[in-house]
This record gives sequence, structure tokens and C-alpha cells, in this order.
Amino acid sequence: MTKPIIEVKNLAKSFGKNDVLKDITEQVNPGQVIVVIGPSGGGKSTFLRCLNLLETPTSGEVDFDGQNLTTLDTKKVNELREEMGMVFQGFNLFPNMTVLENIKLAPMKVKHLDDAAATKLAHELLTQVNLDDHADAFPSSLSGGQAQRVAIARALAMNPKVMLFDEPTSALDPEMVGEVLSVMQELANQGMTMVVVTHEMGFAKSVADKVWFMADGYIQENNTPEEFFSNPQTDRAKDFLSKILM
Amino acid sequence: MKKRVILFFALLLSLVTGMTAVTSTTAHAATDNSLTKVEKKGTLVMGTSPDYPPYEFQATVHGKSQVVGMDVAVGKKIAKDLGVKLVVKSMSFDSLLVALQTGKVDMVISGMNPTPARKKSVDFSHTYYQGGYSIVINKNDKGIYKDKDSFVGKTIGAQTGSTMYNESKKQTSGTTVKGMTSVSDLILALQSHKIQGVAMEKPSAQAYVANNKELAAIPSNFDLSASDTSASVAFAKGSTALVTKANKSVDQIKKQNLVNKTYLPEAGKYLKTNTVNTSMWHYWKAFLTGIKYTLIITVCSVFFGFILGVILALARMGGGGVLRTGLRWLATAYVEFIRGTPMMVQVMFVYFGLGLIVNLPALTSGIIAISLNSGAYVAEYIRGGINSVDSGQTEAARSLGMSGGATMRYVVLPQALKNIWPSLGNEFITLIKDSSIVSIIGVSELIFQSNIVRSDTYRGVAPIAVIMVLYFILTFTASRILNYFERRMQHD
Ligand SMILES: Nc1ncnc2c1ncn2[C@@H]1O[C@H](COP(=O)(O)OP(=O)(O)OP(=O)(O)O)[C@@H](O)[C@H]1O
Ligand SMILES: [Mg+2]
Repeated sequence: MTKPIIEVKNLAKSFGKNDVLKDITEQVNPGQVIVVIGPSGGGKSTFLRCLNLLETPTSGEVDFDGQNLTTLDTKKVNELREEMGMVFQGFNLFPNMTVLENIKLAPMKVKHLDDAAATKLAHELLTQVNLDDHADAFPSSLSGGQAQRVAIARALAMNPKVMLFDEPTSALDPEMVGEVLSVMQELANQGMTMVVVTHEMGFAKSVADKVWFMADGYIQENNTPEEFFSNPQTDRAKDFLSKILM
Repeated sequence: MKKRVILFFALLLSLVTGMTAVTSTTAHAATDNSLTKVEKKGTLVMGTSPDYPPYEFQATVHGKSQVVGMDVAVGKKIAKDLGVKLVVKSMSFDSLLVALQTGKVDMVISGMNPTPARKKSVDFSHTYYQGGYSIVINKNDKGIYKDKDSFVGKTIGAQTGSTMYNESKKQTSGTTVKGMTSVSDLILALQSHKIQGVAMEKPSAQAYVANNKELAAIPSNFDLSASDTSASVAFAKGSTALVTKANKSVDQIKKQNLVNKTYLPEAGKYLKTNTVNTSMWHYWKAFLTGIKYTLIITVCSVFFGFILGVILALARMGGGGVLRTGLRWLATAYVEFIRGTPMMVQVMFVYFGLGLIVNLPALTSGIIAISLNSGAYVAEYIRGGINSVDSGQTEAARSLGMSGGATMRYVVLPQALKNIWPSLGNEFITLIKDSSIVSIIGVSELIFQSNIVRSDTYRGVAPIAVIMVLYFILTFTASRILNYFERRMQHD
């Protein structure tokens, strides 16, 4: 059996009196694509952010590559974050830098790549997401789909082992969703381990190895997409699916 | 004699003496090394406020502006008798005694009269000059006014807080007494008929009348004690050895009547050469010096203030931990304190207060004080700027493995600075104007230079008009340049 790359054990997270995550125990194996779905406010973003410690869990542990992140010091956590790329709903590109500079920043400042090497890497990644002709543009001049593809390239520049996506297409105009999803699909085909929070059921059906249904602070169901969509177990999931698929 | 006691001066004096009550006062009293100290360094530093002809004033000698007058001659004589070199240090009259107490100067000669109040904080030499009072009036009014009693229903002007101001109030009835800080302003008020007479010392009155055909002097007939009309040299408390030496020189000056026979006529000569050319063009060098120092102070203060502001802002935004909390508390207290006290007091405190520990030149003190002040304001702009950067930016950077410091430096601060650039620009322009405050500790910036030109030329308005235009040119140019950079940054 392969060793899981991410192991979550009894993870809980509260904001004050609001217990957002109650008790989550799951694991992700290398190369797996996990799609997390669930109703709004169910804690999906919080869960994703606990995986790379952007949010500090209240209790429980998150193991990455065999190391318990919650016990590591800041410096070690910074190092492990390099291995987990993250893509946000709102892109979060650095608006004061060109596309190329956005991608080069972390490799140069964190990995201490020299300028030439970083530039070369950035161009390769931009080619991969089909945007090399926009290398010198500023983020404000990009469409949403282009911006999100740059954000993916930026995360890939640190050569991560896992990619976390938090509703990467929710902020996009419908006609741009496809270009982002196809980049993600290609990543999955290359064997990237991915945890994707999304409402794109088509993507879940065709790309996911597992679908996690999350509501009320728990992972209510963990199943293959076929099983989940054709035969949901809980009332919570049935209810959710009936609303979404209408 | 001049006897101005301005409130904050008194406050500062008590603060400084309070601080040093234990150290310096007792130390001075215990071991009087005043004389050996002066002999060892080979210079005798004299503090004076050169806006009071013929006692002391600025004159252009061989193309260079320097302090001259009968007090300078007295100082030279004392230094010569001690076998050391005289160094003249200019500052506002209010600052002189503090400068003496904090060791910035070895002695003060500035037409100062040895009043009992002053004797409590400094030691005085014997009297080197016995003066009296006159009232300067417009020549056309010569028939109307005879002495202090002729101004019933009229207004007399005098320097605020001076002996003549107090005596004019006490010894006249039915007369309004108007106080102003500088004699040039009073003369201006007289010529524009806002007041009908100006009470001042006899030699000063003579100087003004000699240089201005529109004016005339009449006797004042004030009833005054000797100590109110005499001038002495002031020394730090407890410097008996130095005072004893100086008294020998002063006694000679009196015995040979040097002041009336030599010093005053000499000063008069400078007054004449001084007023040959009162056109503002003639003084372009003085104004240029002013611009130079104003810019030096502003640019340095903006630079250091900015660095301090960043540090303070970061300290104020620090999170948990005892150390971080302590730092945050300190930074907050600092910002609140600086913003809650006048910059003028801060400038004086740095010059005189810090001066007790390290002897800082006036220019350095001014830059330090204004940087410390500006830092507190800049910190608040930067804090606002940092808060205005979307938290998603930090998350994106952290998710890429960047440390908190690197995130701040490469991602958040550059965007924060762009957001607050207009505020920082305003701060720069404000500092161009506010740097004028350091004129009180004698830094030759624009205001200080304009005061010199005013007392030099006996022209009250023209120098003010000139620096007003100069300030405007400076601020206008600066704002154009800042706008240019703002537009350039806006392209992305
Ligand atoms: N930093 C925070 N401080 C306080 N409460 C928070 C914070 N972040 C999230 N929450 C709360 O936690 C709950 C779960 O939020 P979360 O964003 O994880 O849900 P979600 O499943 O991602 O929802 P959505 O589909 O709307 O993105 C919400 O009630 C939210 O208000
Ligand atoms: Mg969310």
C-alpha cells in the first residue's frame, strides 16, 4: 500500500463559538484527485486552509509527507508550504508586478533561484498554461480565466507535490471556466495530487478519484464520483445534490 | 535690557534643570573646572541672539555674513585676555540660558541684564555697560510726544516680556502697551501707524534713528533700578574661576570706557555699511543658504522619518508573544506621545535635553527631532496602507512558502506604499514648511535667514515676502515632482 501524502486526524477548527470543523479524519494518496463539495458555509475553505496551515487547527493533526505540521516551528511550516501550491477563488495575483514577476518572485526569494533560471522557469510554466504571450502584462489587464491560469502557473513554480484549489472557477464568467478546468485536468493527467473545492460537478465526475461531501463540520460522505452522484447515502447529500442538479 | 521669559522656555528650563539637578549642578559646585576646560579646548564659545543692534547683529563683512556689535567686542576682549579664541554661536534669545546650562555655550553676552530671577540659575560678571531707555517715534510726530507720559490714549510698543514692556505697563496710565517679539516688527508697526512709539534701549534707539530718516528718538524718563538697565556676561552656575577671570576684563572695559569710546562707534560703522544696500537681491546668498538648509533638513528628515515610520508601523501591528506585545505597546505610546506634543518643544528637547548626554550640533539635533516627529505620523500612514492591502495577497505569498518578513517586504509593503504615496507626499510638503521650527535653535534655514536679513536691512516686510515666494516655489515644485511619480506608479 502507498503511504498517504496528506493525513488528517480528528481535525477540528472553531472561530470563537463557531465550530466550523468538528472532527475530520481523512487521507489523500499521492496522485489522487479529491473533489470537496458541500453547501456554502460548510467549512470547505477552512478545511483547505488548515491543510497548509494558513489557518491553525484548534485540535487534531495534519500530517504532510509523514510530518505533523501542527507541531512544527514557523520556519519548517514555511518550507512545507512550498510543497503545497494553493489557488484561490479571487486569484490573488500581485497587482504591482507583471505576470512574469508574479511567477518569479517566490522561486527567487524563497528558493534563491537566479534571475535567468527563474525567468526560464516562468516562461516554461506560462507556455504550459498557454499564456506566454502575456508575460509582460500586468494582472489588471488580464481576463479572469487568464488571471487564474497565471495563478496556477505561479503555484506550480515552487514545484509542489500537492495542489490545493479553493473554488478556482467560481469568480469567472461562464465562458472562461473551461480554459481553467482544462489546465487543471491536464495537471491531473500528469499525476499531480490535487484537493479541489468546486461546484463544477462535471469536473468532479470526469476527473476526481474521490468526492468528499462536506457539511456541518464533518466529511459526511467519501466515495467515488460514480457512487456519490448516483447513490448518495445521507439525506444531507441527497438534498444538496437535488438543489445543485436542478 | 532684554528680559524675555516665554512660557515654554521656562518649562523647558525647569525640565532640563530638573533632569540634571542631581548630576550637573552638584558636579559644577563640587569641582569648578570651568576655567581649565576653556583653556584646554582653546576656545570660548559665546552665545548671543544677533537681532539687537548695536549690541549684536548680523553684518556683511568682506562679503560674508557674520555677527558683530559691542557685545561681540566684549566677548573678544574676554577671550583675548584668557588667551583663547572666541567662537560666536547664534540662537534665539529664549534659548540662550538653556544653552548655557546644558554646556552648549561657555558664556552668554546678549545685552542681558542680571536680574535676581536669572541670578538663581546662572552666574553673572560685573556690569560692562549701563544703558537707559528711549522711545522711538515717527519724525513727523516729534512735536506731539515728549516722553512716556505723552501717550495717553495712544499705543506704545515693546518687545514682549522685556523690561521695557513690563515698565511701560507699570509706569504709564491710559496708554495701551503692545508687545511683539522682534524689534523690526515693532518699527514696522510704528511706520504703519499701528502704534505711536517703541520703547527700547538707548543705543538701539540711536541705531535705528541713524539708519532711518523717518524716525526720531525721545527720552523715556522711566524710573528704573540699575540692575534693569545694566548688561552683564552670564556664565553657568558655579563657574567661579571663569567669572573671576572675566571680571578682570570687564573691569578694564569699564575703567577705560571701552564700550562708549571704541565698541559702540565700531558697531555703528557696521550699521552704516550694513544698510548701504537693502535690496533683497543683495542678500540672495543668505536666502540660498536658507533654501539649502531647509532642503537638507526636509530631505534627511523624510528619509529617516520614513525608516522610523516603517519600524513603528510594523511594531504596532505585531501579534502575540510578550516581546511583541511589549514592542507594540511601546510603539503605540511613542506615536501617541509625539503626536500629542508640539514639534517646537520636541526640537528644543532634543537640542538641549539630549545635548546633556551627547553634544549634538544644532543642524543634527534639528534633523533628529523632525525625523522623530515625522516618523510618528508616517507610521500611521504606513499602518493604514498595510491594512488597505487585501489579506488575500498575504495568503497567496504565504502559500508559496514565503516567510512573514519576506511577504511584508516584497508583497505587502510595495503595495501599501503605492496606496499611501499621496499621504507621504503631503508629509514631505508639510515638512518643507514645518522645518522652519528649527530656526529657534539657530539652524540657518529660510526663516532664520530671513530674520537675519530683516534685522540687517531694517526692512520688515520684504524678506518675509521673499521667503513666502521661495517656500511656495519649493512646495509647488515638490508637489509637481511627486505627482509625476504618482502618475508613473499608477500605470499598473
Ligand atoms: N477567519 C474567520 N473568522 C471567523 N469566522 C470564520 C473565518 N473564516 C470562516 N469563518 C466562518 O466559518 C464558516 C465556514 O466558512 P468557510 O469559508 O470555510 O465555508 P465554505 O464551505 O468555504 O463556504 P463557501 O462555499 O461560501 O466558500 C462560516 O460560518 C464563516 O463565517
Ligand atoms: Mg469557501
